[in-house]
Parts: sequence; structure tokens; C-alpha cells
Amino acid sequence: MIKKKSKKKQAVEAPIIFAKTIGDNIDNVDTMTTSVDRDSLFYRDENILIDVHNVEMKYRMPSEKIDNFKEYCIKLVKGQLHYKTFEALKGVDLQVRRGESLALVGRNGAGKSTLLRIIAGIIEPTSGYVRTRGNMVPLLKLGAGFDYNATGRENVFLNGAMLGFSHKEMQKKYDSIVEFAELENFMNVPLKNYSSGMMSRLGFAIAVDVNPDVLLIDEILSVGDALFQQKCAAKIDELRANGTTFIVVSHAMSQVLRLCQKAVYIKDGKIIQSGTAQEITKMYNEDCAKIAREQAALKAIQDALKD
Amino acid sequence: MSANRKSPIKTKANALQFKKSMVVLGSMVKRNIKNQYRRSVLGIFWTVLNPLLNMLVMWFVFDKIFGRTSSTLFYPVYILSGNIAFTFMRTATTMSLTCMVENYDLLTKTRVPYSVFPISKNLSAMVNLGFSVIALIILMLACIPQGVKFYWTMFMMPVPWLPALFMFSLGMSFALSAIYVRFRDIHHLYTVFLTLWMYATPIFYSLDTLQLGDTARKIMQLNPMYYFVEYLRELLLGVVPSAQMHLICYGIGFATLLLGYVIFRASRKKFILYI
Repeated sequence: MIKKKSKKKQAVEAPIIFAKTIGDNIDNVDTMTTSVDRDSLFYRDENILIDVHNVEMKYRMPSEKIDNFKEYCIKLVKGQLHYKTFEALKGVDLQVRRGESLALVGRNGAGKSTLLRIIAGIIEPTSGYVRTRGNMVPLLKLGAGFDYNATGRENVFLNGAMLGFSHKEMQKKYDSIVEFAELENFMNVPLKNYSSGMMSRLGFAIAVDVNPDVLLIDEILSVGDALFQQKCAAKIDELRANGTTFIVVSHAMSQVLRLCQKAVYIKDGKIIQSGTAQEITKMYNEDCAKIAREQAALKAIQDALKD
Repeated sequence: MSANRKSPIKTKANALQFKKSMVVLGSMVKRNIKNQYRRSVLGIFWTVLNPLLNMLVMWFVFDKIFGRTSSTLFYPVYILSGNIAFTFMRTATTMSLTCMVENYDLLTKTRVPYSVFPISKNLSAMVNLGFSVIALIILMLACIPQGVKFYWTMFMMPVPWLPALFMFSLGMSFALSAIYVRFRDIHHLYTVFLTLWMYATPIFYSLDTLQLGDTARKIMQLNPMYYFVEYLRELLLGVVPSAQMHLICYGIGFATLLLGYVIFRASRKKFILYI
């Protein structure tokens, strides 16, 4: 959407999208003033693309999943409706500046994907806020919103619409998308007849052709065969050279190192360390190795006890 | 100080978001319509044929088997007009009922405003309604020898009749889609309820021929669909509906939409947890 020529102008006018502003701590004067300072900093500094402030996410989970009215009534009468709160994020604070790609690193269930979804504005945090600037494309799942009954061609336009592009705008991009996905012969075939590789290629081609300011990626970079992966990598390098900022969730440390300068290590819903990608990946690898060693040791003890 | 700086940018962001929602809405409606008749031989003609065939069945059953009931309009036109009003509401709400759960992928993986889903289903139903009206006009043309007449009041169908019905149906859709996320068995209840509702609405009979007592009649008139159906028939008879009728229809429309949207907004945050 942003052409190179008008980039400067666009940057100044880039819209600010308010994800959430909750003044939960109104009685606490200290936090008030700091957050006002942050506000004005965010508005003054055009280079801050994402400002995550003290974000907390609590899920209230029923101990059993109840999804129908009958059971709900029965449990209500019996007094068996129990909920436990699960804190996915506990006060996360981060800022991402233009051109400064960030990786979210951590073990499964640490809250990385939740944080990414909050940044994307898909879910609202329980408290705290996220402010973003510029055109942000969440790529959390390739081909989210594909319609399997429609043809490839129709899906390109449909998916484009989800990303905010009109039919006309997508028409300009259409040829390059098809070419990139290498699906010239399949565009009039319904999507249900596609192989999974073809589907993800199409999804990826649409997403990268949009040329966003910020691209949010959740472990979707291993798409297609080796040749296509090379092409993806080249495209991503090109985007990065054009100034796209990446926020990446990945377990492949090589990808993190390739894509990002900075990284944060998330553990149990908190950022426990932030720094350069090298530092964080090293720390993460060491942690994983340590846990693996501990588990191996524990198993050895258990085995020994059994005998 | 900062409030002054925020507002223009925020408006602009909202405008952008609005444009985006409109694009999504348009393409979703197109997709709904296309999917409905994809790979059927007669394609979009089904949308015109369907209400006509339905009307024929009803006309056969109620006129030929149960015997003629007197009605203000020519009987086939009477049935079809009642039927298209009710069918619009029924299609829109049943499609909306499951729409949040169906679009799980979009809800959890992309940023699309939630209200787009029920609205798109209602708009799709409205397009179908348009085709049904074509069917109605065809029927009326065919029945001119039987004494069916066209009146200028038919132009009052797009406005002010349709917006009131649309608001009512959209309000229902908002509420139902939000409740369905939480309680999936609503689906069964609502299907049964719709059957009851259809028989309680004077589609193939009229309240005057039922010879009801005063209380029974009043109870029948509690049904919101009764007013929308009667309004449409008055237009076909060349009668301009009374101010009271307008007041009732728009009152019902506004109240339902407001209530439905409040329910939808209130449960919005929980969607992602229950889907």
C-alpha cells in the first residue's frame, strides 16, 4: 500500500489505532503520570511503531468446558460452576521502533502468541494498553479466512479484503501474487482441491505482497518445499530492506537470528530478559539444554529407583 | 492537552477501519450469495423460483386441501407476501446464529470487527429478499387477469418498510449469534421456536378469519412479525399504512436492534474464550 515515494508523508500521517486504554490504576497517581509521559512520547516520536504498556491478560476458565445451556443450568443448580483464572500475561511492557525487528522467544505456553494477538488487536488485554502506528498485517495463520468452496482467484480477493484492500487494489497485485505462489494453472480450481502446500503458498504470497509497515509472524515460515522456502526468505529480506518491521514468534533460533536484531525472552507470561537476538537465543538455548539435562537426570533417578 | 492531539488521528484511524470493514462486508456478502447456489444448474434463478415453488405448495395445501380461506388479497399473492417477509427474518437469523462460530479462523487470526459477521448475513438475506420480490412481481403480473392490481404504494417497500424489518432482524441476529457462542444448544431451541413462530404469524391465514376472542387476538398481536407482514400487505393493497403502524414497526425495530447490540457488545470480549 505504501509506495516508496510517498513513504515519508505516509509515515507522518500513519494512523494510530487504539487497541485499548483502560485507566485501571486511576487512584495511583504515579502510574498516571508515567503513562501520560509515555503517551506524549508515543505521539511525539513517529518512530515508535508499537507501544505495549503494562499489558495483563487473564482468562477465566471454567474447570470444565460447558458450551450448552442445559449443562450450564444443571451445574448452576448443583453449584458446580467453578472458574479458575489463568494469567497468560503478567504486566508486559515493550516498545518497538521502526525498522527494529523483534523476536518473542520462549517455551510453549509462555504467552508469546497471546502477546502477538494482543498487539495485532485481535484480543483485548484485561488491563494495560497497546498503541500501534502504521499498517500492520497479522500473519498468525496462513490463509485464515480462506473459503474452501471458492476458487483460488476468488480467495485472493477475499483475503485481500480481510487485509483491507478493495477489489481494484487487489487487481493490481493479483498477477504478482499468482506468480509468486506459482499457481498459474490452479487459480480457477476450488480451494478444497488444493494441496496443503499450495494453500499455504497462496496465503503467504498474499500476505507478503501487501507490503506492510509491521508484519506479525507466528511460526509460519516453514512453507512449501526447499525451493519455495528460499523464495520466501528472499522476499522477506526484500521486505526488511524496504523497512518493514517484523515481530516474530519462532522456535527456530536460526530464523530469529536471521530476521531480528532484538529479542525478548518470555517465561510464564513475563518478559524475563530483553536484549539483542544473539544474547537472547543463547540464553534460551542454554535454558532449554539445562531443562533437558535436569529431566534426563530426573529420569535416571526414577529408573534407578525402579530397579 | 493530549486529548486534543488524539482526536483527529483517532477519527482517521476509525475511518480507515470503517473502510476496511466495508470491503470485508462486501466481499462476504458476495461470497454468501455465490456459495448458496454454487454449482447448481439454475444458479441464481433458484432464488426467484424458490419462493414461487414454496408459495405453490402452501397454496395447494391450504387452498385446495383445507379449503379456501377468505383473504384481503388474491390468495397466492397473500401467501407469498407473508412468506417473503417471514423468510427474510428466518434466513437472516438462522444464518447469523452460527456465524461467529463458523468464522472461528477469522475471529482468532485476523482483525475483523465482530459485527461484520451478523451484518453480512443479514445483507445476504436482504439480497435474497430482493429476488423474492421479483418473484412476487412475476406472480402479480401473472395474476392480473384474476384481478390483481399494482399500486404506487409498492414503492414504499424499500423505504420505509424494509429498514424497520432489517433493524428487527439484525437485532435478533446480534443477540442470537452472541448467545450461540456461549450455549450451542440454542440452535435446536431456536429451530423449534421458528416453526412455532411461523404458524403464529398470519402467513397463510388471516387473523380476521380465525374468529378469535379479544384476548386471543391481542396475544396474537404481540408477535412483532405480525406488524411487518401486515404492513407489507397494506402496501400491496394500495393502502398507506397509518402513523401508528409506522410507530409500532420502527419502535420494534429500534428496540430490538438496541437490545441485540447491547447483548453482542457485552459478550464480545468472551467470544474468543468460548469459541
